[in-house]
Amino acid sequence: MASLIRYIIRRLLFMIPVFLGVAILTYGVGNAAGSPLNLIRVGLRNPNPAVLEALTHYYHLDQPVWQRFLYWLWDLMHGNLGVSISGRPVASQIGPWALSTLELQVLALILSIVIGIPVGVYSSKHQYSKMDYAITTTAIFGYSMPTFWLGIMLVIIFSFNLGLLPGSGAVSVSYYWWGNPLLDQIAHLILPTLVLTYVNLATIVRLVRANMLEVMRQDYILAARASGLSERTVTYRYALRNAVSPVVTIIGLGFGAALGGAPALETTFSWPGLGYAFTQAALTLDIPLVQGITIVITLMVLVAILITDLTYALLDPRVTIG
Amino acid sequence: MSEEHLKRGASQWSVGWRRFRKNKSALIGSAIVVFFIAVAILAPYIAPYPARSYLPLYEGEAGTPPSFKHPLGVEDSGIDVFSETIHGTRNDLYVGLAASLITTLIGVALGALAGYFKGAVSDILLGVIQVFFVIPVLLLILLFARVFSFLVFKGLGLTLIVLILSFFGWSSIAFIVRGETLRLKEMEFIQAARSLGAGSFRLLFRHIVPNILSPVIVVATLNIAGFILTEVVVSFLGFGDANTSTWGLLLNEGFSLVRTDWWVSLFPGLAVVLCVLGFNLMGDGLSDALNPRLRE
Repeated sequence: MASLIRYIIRRLLFMIPVFLGVAILTYGVGNAAGSPLNLIRVGLRNPNPAVLEALTHYYHLDQPVWQRFLYWLWDLMHGNLGVSISGRPVASQIGPWALSTLELQVLALILSIVIGIPVGVYSSKHQYSKMDYAITTTAIFGYSMPTFWLGIMLVIIFSFNLGLLPGSGAVSVSYYWWGNPLLDQIAHLILPTLVLTYVNLATIVRLVRANMLEVMRQDYILAARASGLSERTVTYRYALRNAVSPVVTIIGLGFGAALGGAPALETTFSWPGLGYAFTQAALTLDIPLVQGITIVITLMVLVAILITDLTYALLDPRVTIG
Repeated sequence: MSEEHLKRGASQWSVGWRRFRKNKSALIGSAIVVFFIAVAILAPYIAPYPARSYLPLYEGEAGTPPSFKHPLGVEDSGIDVFSETIHGTRNDLYVGLAASLITTLIGVALGALAGYFKGAVSDILLGVIQVFFVIPVLLLILLFARVFSFLVFKGLGLTLIVLILSFFGWSSIAFIVRGETLRLKEMEFIQAARSLGAGSFRLLFRHIVPNILSPVIVVATLNIAGFILTEVVVSFLGFGDANTSTWGLLLNEGFSLVRTDWWVSLFPGLAVVLCVLGFNLMGDGLSDALNPRLRE
């Protein structure tokens, strides 16, 4: 137990440079054009001089960059993400967005793990069969496709042409789909979840299949078979256990990548999450909001990686903690 | 072991090529890649309209669905989708190839240094590589593209996107090169070269780097696909260069017309899928062909 805690602390220490790196990059880019006011002027048509004055004061713009960065970092440590150009505090806006994003991402992740592992195992057990070709082909298409484009195609077919499902937003404004607020939310979730699950699945199936093929060639599998164990036991208790641990790492990194890739998917579905908000904020150059969202997504990615590392260590007895 | 490995003179590359030739999906991928490269080179000659041309508007054909004259339809603004997709091929391949080339150079150099030397410098390099490996790069790419495009580097156009993608995209190569360098530097042929008096620089770039080229080539090929996809996302969201024809820009315009002009969204997307698929199949094939562990 003590070694586990030490392990967690070491991983947490690694997060500090990552976090600082992102903080420096996001803060620095806001100052790339000299004074951040130049950026604000571009995003905001005809700003009020009094507003600019207040911003100068609020963000300490009369002081050198490194000093302002330290102020900003200090505020960040205290949960204060500043005030967006629209005048509202960033921290209070981010909460609901983060929940929307997580709702979609976690649902898709669970679905793709539950479907992806058995499909990958099946594909590896029937290597070079017709079904295996169908699965690997479907997977490599999912791997090669811009996520958002698949979303657009599904919206065109199922929303615009067939009228079966809503194509934008997380809830309806005027009336409920399927006549009930809960069903309405589910209806809105279907298309974005489907797209995200397919793309996640592509990665997971490919990896599970490749790892299973490699593990099944090992001598201990031959030994297990020779000792008369059933094929089912050999596959699931011996092979999968060893094949799945590298997959866990990739799932963690992939979850991080999917979080970072949220802008395009969420924009396609007008999904009220962090990615959609980020896109809008970056287009209007609302730098404090952009910085806040980037920091929050980075933290979410780091937590995902930490959970992955721990799962990996618990799953694979060969990895020693400490 | 089969016969061919016992022949003398069969280098790693000729063995790899023999294996690659037998791999059907790798050949399909290569054919797709060759096709897209041909389209990119010939773009100005085969595209019926110049890039970003609104000519069909004056021919009264704006917003028309696919027809004999406009096989992929026309946007409401009068842009011919077929013509624009061809011009986009040229520009998107430029982004993918250039960014992959630059990141390979950066990644090999930093990865080799981080793997070869010991001490503070290599620790810091490893830290930097890991930071770039886990940060949410797409967000930073979008942010950089937005801020730099009209404040600092006006007029760089698509090259700005290449530079930003490269700045954030080199870590996967560096990771692999570092690992391979760590493994190779303890091997006997390196120690032999060292005892013959080869300096660090010569050891690294004459003896170590040439021996880790095959994984680098595989990842660089797969990276081309990744960079093209990222460029498509950047332009789709409106952070790209609005004056250069790219697939992403077409999809961006298609998205605002999505309720009426489905053809503006469908066809450029198909081009993206096919092109990226080609590079992915080719990369997978190279990986199978050059991976010595899979030789049986």
